[in-house]
Order: sequence, then structure tokens, then C-alpha cells
Amino acid sequence: MSSNIEIVCSFVEGAPPGELADVIADIKALTVSEPDLVKELTPAFQKYNEEQFITAKLPGGSSQVIVSEFSSLGDGRYFDSESQSSFDFDHSTGKASGVQSYVLEGEQASLVKSTLSSVGTYVKEHYPNAISGVYPIENDTKVAVVIVANKYSPNNFWNGRWRSLYVFDPSSNSLEGSIKVDVHYYEDGNVRLLTDKKVNVSVSGGRAADGIAREISTAEKKYQEDLNRSFTQLSEGAFKALRRQLPVTRQKIEWDKVASYRLGQDIGGVASRR
Amino acid sequence: MSTPDPFDSALDLLRRLNPKHTTSHLSNIISLAPDLAEELLSSVDQPLTVQRCKQTGRDYLLCDYNRDGDSYRSPWSNQFDPPLDEAGSGGVSSGGNNEGAGEGAVPGERVRKMEIKANEAFDVYRELYYEGGVSSVYFWNLDDGFAGVVLLKKGSPQGDATTSGVWDSIHVFEASERGRTSNYRLTSTVILTLATKGASLGEVDLSGNMTRQVEQDLPVESDESHIANIGRLVEDMELKMRNLLQEVYFGKAKDVVGDLRSIGSLSQGQKDRETQRELIGSMRR
Repeated sequence: MSSNIEIVCSFVEGAPPGELADVIADIKALTVSEPDLVKELTPAFQKYNEEQFITAKLPGGSSQVIVSEFSSLGDGRYFDSESQSSFDFDHSTGKASGVQSYVLEGEQASLVKSTLSSVGTYVKEHYPNAISGVYPIENDTKVAVVIVANKYSPNNFWNGRWRSLYVFDPSSNSLEGSIKVDVHYYEDGNVRLLTDKKVNVSVSGGRAADGIAREISTAEKKYQEDLNRSFTQLSEGAFKALRRQLPVTRQKIEWDKVASYRLGQDIGGVASRR
Repeated sequence: MSTPDPFDSALDLLRRLNPKHTTSHLSNIISLAPDLAEELLSSVDQPLTVQRCKQTGRDYLLCDYNRDGDSYRSPWSNQFDPPLDEAGSGGVSSGGNNEGAGEGAVPGERVRKMEIKANEAFDVYRELYYEGGVSSVYFWNLDDGFAGVVLLKKGSPQGDATTSGVWDSIHVFEASERGRTSNYRLTSTVILTLATKGASLGEVDLSGNMTRQVEQDLPVESDESHIANIGRLVEDMELKMRNLLQEVYFGKAKDVVGDLRSIGSLSQGQKDRETQRELIGSMRR
């Protein structure tokens, strides 16, 4: 049996794209007798925000920044390579504040800068509305690339999120990561698409930053084509096999004669074996 | 600001969290808010469980409507399993749990006769549309008529390691008898789970449920007409819902992915649109 706090945290973790506030409102209504429970949710919010690559607008600026474990400085502070700034992020309200200058120095600083530009160009070409970020990680030995695209349409009862994460290791030129798509449709129902695709490729030739953007572009194009094909295959395959659109006879059932279908059932069976 | 109703909030939460795990979300919500248990269990549709009838050896489906305490009634034998003891027949289980009390009661003689016919009819329906799976129909008496639930379940064959699917249909209706016509109110839910995986595709999970309602007055000549009327209503509804599921699961999901990311180049698409606009403009001149 899970404790109430564990249950509530699992609800936060499962919130669909753009619907965390709705989930929290529901949690509050279900736990009115324990008003302190919601106050204990900050760690769950942090986990959700970092895993979902939640974006925020820096005060005074127009640029969006990504919250993730790769850009964390600890104590609720994060940095953004593009704007060369660090900021406080309130995990409960989703607001950024306390912006300070944060200049990247060190081994990967120039790779981060050039990859920001090459990946940025790719992202502009294929995402109508996405934010990307590049960060030095693991003691400045590797570089993480994050892409997140959100589209929320609550008035039409759907929301979607595309998240990509890649880690480039300059010592082996390997690029490893994953693409995750999350789509929620909830008009008179609740339908969810959740995908997870691992990417593991090698970057070769030319400038590393260009190679990284090229490999990401190739992997994501192929993935989207594979995913589109899987919709067709599921529709034509598993879905059709569960329930036919019409019986083999291509006619609806004659319900007035259904009692005599005991024989008819055998006829249907014969027809399906033809 | 008024406090939202906890029951409505529970339903809203279930409409948002991953529909593949509705059963565990439901039990979690109930442990947060035990007062809502009875209301939630009778209004939230969950994937159906299959049980084998000890008397006839045929499979049947379990739901709140054929349950009495911890026992379930088989539509094929009309017997409860485990059998109800005298003290338990009022719908109170040995543990004193009386959730859904009376729901599992056996229908009256006339309604049971219709229930038998409906089970035979929907067994034919199941074979023609599902070519497998399990069906069960349960009826119960109402003051001005009767009500019932038509259940259908089909899973994709075991052994396919890459793709799996399960379809559950739950059609609950009320029939109010008004002389030579009857008013039917039908609420239908389909729970559909699909999953596929592959080396190049990774993992894809498409799960969910959709609910639709319809109300219709239809002529009734005999009890046989009730079976035919309910049959047509369910058949039409399932056709409609199958089309809807196809549209949402495969069309809408794909469209949203396409809204997030464009396979083609956005600047090229923009250029093409501008070229086209100029072309149309020049033709007009």
C-alpha cells in the first residue's frame, strides 16, 4: 500500500503535457483534509520539471530557457548557455527570477557555443515552436543537447510534447540519447500516445558541432517517418484484427432473424475461411 | 472561490492520467478519498476480467453489474461464483462490504428470459464482428422497464512479441417501457490499448478510452423486439465508435506529432507557399 504522499507524487509525475496545473488542482480537491500534503510536493515538481524539460521566460527578456538536470547548478538555480545567464526557478510556480551573468568557460565552452548555433539552425528548420539547449556535463567532459517542442490546445482537448536528449562524448565521438513523444487527447475520453526511442550513433568528419546537428537531423527524420508508418501498421494490423468494421458478409446483422443465426454463425465462419 | 467537488476532481484526474493504468490510478484515488469508493467504482469503466463458468465451462465477463459482494453471476448458468450463502444474498459479503449491494441480484423471470436471448444474440454478434473474444450481457429490473449492460472483450493473440492490443466494450442501457414504444438510453465506452515495439521504432504505446451516449424511442411489439432494438443500437454505436477511435488513435495522434515537428523543411515550405502565392497573383493580373 503506497502512502498518500507517494500516491500524490505519482499523479504529478504522470501529468500530461501542459496539464500539471489541472492535476495539482485535482489533487488539492481530493486531499482537502490534508492541506499540508501539497506543500511536500516540491521535490516531485522539480523531478517533473527537469524530466519534462519545462521552459520558462527570463524576466526582462524574451528568450525561453530550459529547466533540466543538465542545466542545474543546485539549490533551484539553473543556467542557460545561449543567453549566458543563470536564474532561480520556482518549481511550484514555474517562474524564473534572479538572473545573473553566467559565462561558460572551460574545455567544452567553444563546442557548446558552436553546437548551439548548428542545432539551433536545424531546430528552426523542423520545429515550428521548439527550444533547444546545449550544456557541458560530467565535469566538462561531455556535452548534452536538449530539444523540447510543446503544443497545447486545451480548447480542442489535446496537448503534445516532443522531447529529445543527446549526450555527445568528444573522446569517442559517440552521440547517445532518446526521443520521447507524448500526446494527450481528452474530448469525451482519454487517449494517450507515449513513445520512447533510443538513439546511438557516431559523429564523424568535419566540425563536431556540424556533425552533431547532422546526426540529430537524420535520426529524428527517420524516427518521425518510422512513427508515422507504425500508426498505419497498427491501424491496418492489430486494430483491424481486434474488431472488424463489418461482418465478413459486409452487411449489418438482421436482428429480427438473429435467433436463426445459430446456423448463420456457421455460414459466417465458412465465409471467413474462404 | 468554491471548493470543487471531490468526485468531479477524481473523474477529471482519471481523464488526464495515463489511461493504460486507470485501474491502479482508481485504487490510488480511493485510498486518498475512501468516501468516493462506491461512486467511483460504479461509474469508472475499467478493463474487463474473464472468468470461466463452472457449470457450463464457458467464459464470461466480470463487472459491477453481475457482482454481489465477492461473487459474480455467470450469464450462461445464472449461478454465482463463489456461491452466495443465505446471509450473503442481500448483497453483503462476508467482510460486511456492501458496495454495489443489490447490483448483483438475479433479474426477475421475464427479464432473465430476455437476458438469455440477448446473450445468444450478442454471442452471434461477437463471432461476426470480433471473430473471437468473449461476450456477456446482464439485465436487471427497473420500476418502469429494465436495464442492462452488453460487454465485449477481445485481445490480440498471444505470441506476437512486437505488437499487442486489447479491446473492451461496455454498453450500459436503460429501457423505459411506454406501451408500444420504449425509450432507450445508451452509454457506451470502448477501452482500447495498443502497443508496438521494434529495433528501429523503439516503443510506442497508444492507450485510451472514449465514451459516447445516445437516446432513442423505438417501437416494441414483443420482448423479442427489445433484443433487436438493443442489438441495433449497440451495433450502430460500435460502428460509430470504431470510426472515432480510428480517427483519434491514428489520425489525430499523427497530426499532433506533425504539429510538433515537421518532416519537411519549414523554410522550404514557406518558400513554396510564397512561390505559389506569386504564381496565383501573376495569373490574376
